[in-house]
Amino acid sequence: MIRNTSRSRSILAMALAGISLLTVTAASAGDISVWVWDKAFNGDTMREAGAIYTAAHPDVTVTVDDSASQDDIRAKLQTQLLAGSTDGLPDIVLIQDDIAQKYLQSFPGAFEPLSDSIDMAAFAPYKVAAATYDGKSYSVPFDSGVTGLFYRSDYLEEAGFTAADLENITWDRLVEIGTTVKEKTGHLLLDLDLNDTGLIRMMMQSAGEWYFNEDGSLHITDNAALKKAIETYAKFYQADLVKPVSGWAEYTGAFTSGEVAAVPVGVWITATIKANADQSGLWAIAPIPRLDMEGSVNASNQGGSSWFVLSSSDNKEETIDFLKTVWAENVDFYQDILIKRGAVGSLLAAREGEAFKASDEFFGGAPVWQNFSTWLGQIPSVDYGTFTAEVDAAVQAQLPGIIQGGDLDAALQAINDQATQQMQ
Amino acid sequence: MTVSTADAVGTRPVVVRSYVPGNPWALARRALVYVLLSIAAFLSVFPFFWMMIGATNASADIIKGKAWFGGALVANATTFFTQVDAPRIFFNSGFIAVVATALTLIISSLAGYGFEMFRSKVRERIFAFLLLLLSIPFAAMMVPLFVMFSQAKLVNTFAAVILPTVASIFIIFYFRQATKAFPSELRDAAKIDGLKEWQIFLFVYLPVMRSTYAAATIIVFMGNWNNYLWPLIVLQTAENKTITLILSALTSAYTPDYGMILFGTVLATLPTLVIFFLLQRRFVEGMLGAVK
Amino acid sequence: MAQARLDRREQITGWAFIAPALILLGLFMIYPIVWSLWMSFQVGKGMNLSFGGFANIVRLTKDPVFIRALGNTFTFFIFQVPIMIGLALLFAVALNDSTLRFRGLFRTAIFLPCVTSLIAYSTVFKSMFATDGIINQALMALHVIASPISWFGDPFWAKVAIIIAITWRWTGYNMIFYLAALQNIDRSIYEAARIDGVPAWARFRYLTIPMLKPVILFTTVISTIGTLQLFDEVANFTAGTGGPSDSTVTLSLYIYNLTFKFMPSFGYSATVSWVIVVLVGILTFLQFLIARDRRIKS
Repeated sequence: MIRNTSRSRSILAMALAGISLLTVTAASAGDISVWVWDKAFNGDTMREAGAIYTAAHPDVTVTVDDSASQDDIRAKLQTQLLAGSTDGLPDIVLIQDDIAQKYLQSFPGAFEPLSDSIDMAAFAPYKVAAATYDGKSYSVPFDSGVTGLFYRSDYLEEAGFTAADLENITWDRLVEIGTTVKEKTGHLLLDLDLNDTGLIRMMMQSAGEWYFNEDGSLHITDNAALKKAIETYAKFYQADLVKPVSGWAEYTGAFTSGEVAAVPVGVWITATIKANADQSGLWAIAPIPRLDMEGSVNASNQGGSSWFVLSSSDNKEETIDFLKTVWAENVDFYQDILIKRGAVGSLLAAREGEAFKASDEFFGGAPVWQNFSTWLGQIPSVDYGTFTAEVDAAVQAQLPGIIQGGDLDAALQAINDQATQQMQ
Repeated sequence: MTVSTADAVGTRPVVVRSYVPGNPWALARRALVYVLLSIAAFLSVFPFFWMMIGATNASADIIKGKAWFGGALVANATTFFTQVDAPRIFFNSGFIAVVATALTLIISSLAGYGFEMFRSKVRERIFAFLLLLLSIPFAAMMVPLFVMFSQAKLVNTFAAVILPTVASIFIIFYFRQATKAFPSELRDAAKIDGLKEWQIFLFVYLPVMRSTYAAATIIVFMGNWNNYLWPLIVLQTAENKTITLILSALTSAYTPDYGMILFGTVLATLPTLVIFFLLQRRFVEGMLGAVK
Repeated sequence: MAQARLDRREQITGWAFIAPALILLGLFMIYPIVWSLWMSFQVGKGMNLSFGGFANIVRLTKDPVFIRALGNTFTFFIFQVPIMIGLALLFAVALNDSTLRFRGLFRTAIFLPCVTSLIAYSTVFKSMFATDGIINQALMALHVIASPISWFGDPFWAKVAIIIAITWRWTGYNMIFYLAALQNIDRSIYEAARIDGVPAWARFRYLTIPMLKPVILFTTVISTIGTLQLFDEVANFTAGTGGPSDSTVTLSLYIYNLTFKFMPSFGYSATVSWVIVVLVGILTFLQFLIARDRRIKS
């Protein structure tokens, strides 16, 4: 019955598309459409998942659309949900974890709860928490943003440091190491973009804190971890260890070209670093440093995203079944995407697979995936709330003042005031 | 460097003699003009040149700041054509831009003619009101527009991209200003000959104003070809997207291939450039009417 | 054009000519605008809206980002529009000299930037303004600066970079309007003035400028609207943040962020849109007023 309607519908859609270019190409029911934003990473990963599912269910295909950037997808999704229109929306959309709550809470009913059909205990808890609202989880976690300190082992060695010197250190210790590296090798420690709060957020999350209290109210002026984070952030500038950059091209350019010695970042950067094959063996990955305060651990998160099913999907059953059988159960698939795409999934069972145990010559033969998996389990869960973008903007507004040694409490107060305005 | 006279250039008397041989001040000033224009032309063309250099280099070299032509043009072209369904995407862009430009010229020139030739108090007020509307940011209208097109079941169609652009207040304004220069004797003579108003528009006004149309063609085509925000929102599937949207998405990949992207931008710039080259002589004449 | 009163048939013809445009504008412009005007009285997030009277206007006065955006927009307007109009005039006057060689070449070159696609333009400019970019390299080679400027890492230089970029993109466009108008001026007036020994600067000031006044007004109004709606450059050069430290955030970028990036608060973003409309109205009125004053003096 279902198949009948789907077939007639797809024939109708094809006929319409054939008649006129001005016609809607409606997604047919045997086809699961997905919006992603990077062809090589999440696009190809999803295509691979689709191929696995289609092999077992020949009547279902997965169509991946990677023709929009992440910002574009957000703008499209938000316009459509605001307009209350589901025309042309896909069955599955990829959403970054830190903005998931905004969609879930602003547009109740727009997304399909998945925790009834898929066992969420199989995934890293902090990922599930990010998409849980009102007791239900709405996502199948995809890639983890588990962070590491990627560094040029050759530079560090030249400055007299071994891998052990970077294990379980604080950010303050990294400032000292960076100073020595700069003296000995002439390389700056890292590159930072004042329009990006990634490092500050990463530091703050390592202490289990975020911008908000449990009740959703602002947690800024009394947030010791945030204060410590911006203080530490400023130290890199004050020690003159930072190459200032702006935008993605310049940001990635500074470390892929060998100009700076290190980059603290989410694991998803691996493919970008490894794209420069001539640097094989010159890189290593240490655990992320921690803040010099109680409660901060050597593990954190940056970015990472999850699959959401839209309630408007006209083939929810197949869509959920697809996510369940491939993304929530297929351990081999996770080995495959790790090797091919450098995608570190969030399925806990996948960690026991072969690929995760392998070592990587590019990173000096270290068992990097095993390490990332270990750190993944230590990431403190935080509640990203619904206003992260607003507070980020408020933090960015204060960064130029902070790096010039401005008063931290005054900066926190200003962040608090601006964010209060934006949240009303 | 001769001193031009009216005879030398034809019918138009040319009298700007900014350089008389033997006058050192004039000589210095003339040199200054060339230096100034050369700098301006260099700075204007430089980013183009830079883009073309980029299209011949591998991404890694571009990031390292390589500033001369490289050997990666074919590789970049190959990557571009394998990653992007170029015929389809360029067809989409071209179809949208051509249809939108044609409709805009028809509808907006009719209105410009109407506002100028048939003045009445009510229409003048409407015109002033329209000018004020010119200043409303598009982002403010996007959600209600989307609701409309979604109710009309036109989301993800070219019609949805084209329709909101065809009645352009800016182009109506431009045609109205240009019509002020249209000789009224021509219209009076045509009327005496018994031509109807639509015949006057079609057989007298249109041929006389063809340079105005040429100028408007460049402006409108350029606007539609580069249009970003509304097509982004209203076009849903990859096969319906325009080159501007596709290039934008490519630049925001995790590991963007800048050589391939710059190759794409060179390609994407070509159609507007060709149209400009074809029409530029008329373009200068066309503006003439509008700003009189 | 002094015209006799239109008769009934002409009235109908007049409406017929503008009807297609009016119908389309009514559908695709007036309706959304009325809707957004109504929205500007609504408060709340997402789809959860309620009538708030003038609450959004009160909120504007207390919103630090709005105040910064307003300030930046004005800074861009005050510095960029005169620089661009001045340069465009200068080029136009220089290119209007028919004894000049390579006029077509210069004209095409200077006009090129505005036909460039936005993507090409922003990709190229971002790489040129990078810390190791060609602009810093050139300035250092010329010993203008000692160490590279972090163009988009410094609130002041970020504004400068934006102004340079917009000026680059739109000067040629405005120049074409002046060139066209200059060709329209009766050259015998210049000749007479020249023979009378009026110096070049005075010919420019007392002949060219007054005769170009309608065009200058036209381009100023168009540029004012363009600058107050400034979005492309700031959105593309700063990854949509308007940074560093909100130093390049404009009203349009703020509207975009309020609508698409933040928790959608559509009523408030509609209110900010109406601020632009009111500002353009006031500025255009002032520009017309100034243009009229000058006429009386001269």
